[in-house]
Amino acid sequence: MSGPANPISSLFRRSKKLDIDCFINVWTLRDHTKRKAFEATEAQRQALRYLVRNTTLPARTRVMAQLELTQMHAYTRPTQIKNRCTMGTKGRGILRDFKMSRYAFRMNALAGNLPGVKKASW
Amino acid sequence: MSVPRARLLELMKAQCQLFSTTYNPTGIRTGNKILRQRLRGPALASYYPRKLINDRSLLEEFSPYDLTTTREEEEDRLDHIAALKARGKGAPKKKKEAPVVHVKKRK
Repeated sequence: MSGPANPISSLFRRSKKLDIDCFINVWTLRDHTKRKAFEATEAQRQALRYLVRNTTLPARTRVMAQLELTQMHAYTRPTQIKNRCTMGTKGRGILRDFKMSRYAFRMNALAGNLPGVKKASW
Repeated sequence: MSVPRARLLELMKAQCQLFSTTYNPTGIRTGNKILRQRLRGPALASYYPRKLINDRSLLEEFSPYDLTTTREEEEDRLDHIAALKARGKGAPKKKKEAPVVHVKKRK
């Protein structure tokens, strides 16, 4: 992780060109940036995690790997990623299958925009 | 009737060979479970729907057909900018040199 022009550092900035097509907000953009950063560094993270968990390796190696892992950019962490509503960027009460908040889901379901979704009644 | 441990270990070894798993009788943590995990990145990164087309790509796609098109929003924007410029209120031109920094003199 050294050198004059670190190619990874550009990952943590929002892309200049808008590449997503849903409700756009700074939260959505930030979350999308985090997702891309995680995708790009996932292999490296997993390699480091392997080194850390392998008890047959010398302790120094494992500690070094742990350090490198903790010093990686926050955006490369999967825990930073948050499922947000794609229709209004709400962060809570998201139905994973529809990528929508419960209210947006209700509105779309009642309007018949979601194939196969029907209001239960018995 | 108890089975000797050595015999059980042999069985375990045979099992491992048969099902091509790692023989690890002492249960040492080798971190292999990390290597077995699938990569989640592609699935996570495709959460938000990607932008597939925009005005420009659409025009390029249909350029061989010689169609006349209007882009109202873009024209409005350009008109607005032209009006601003006419009033002398347009955005300044980009500077080519680095701006001169004025340092305040200490009294």
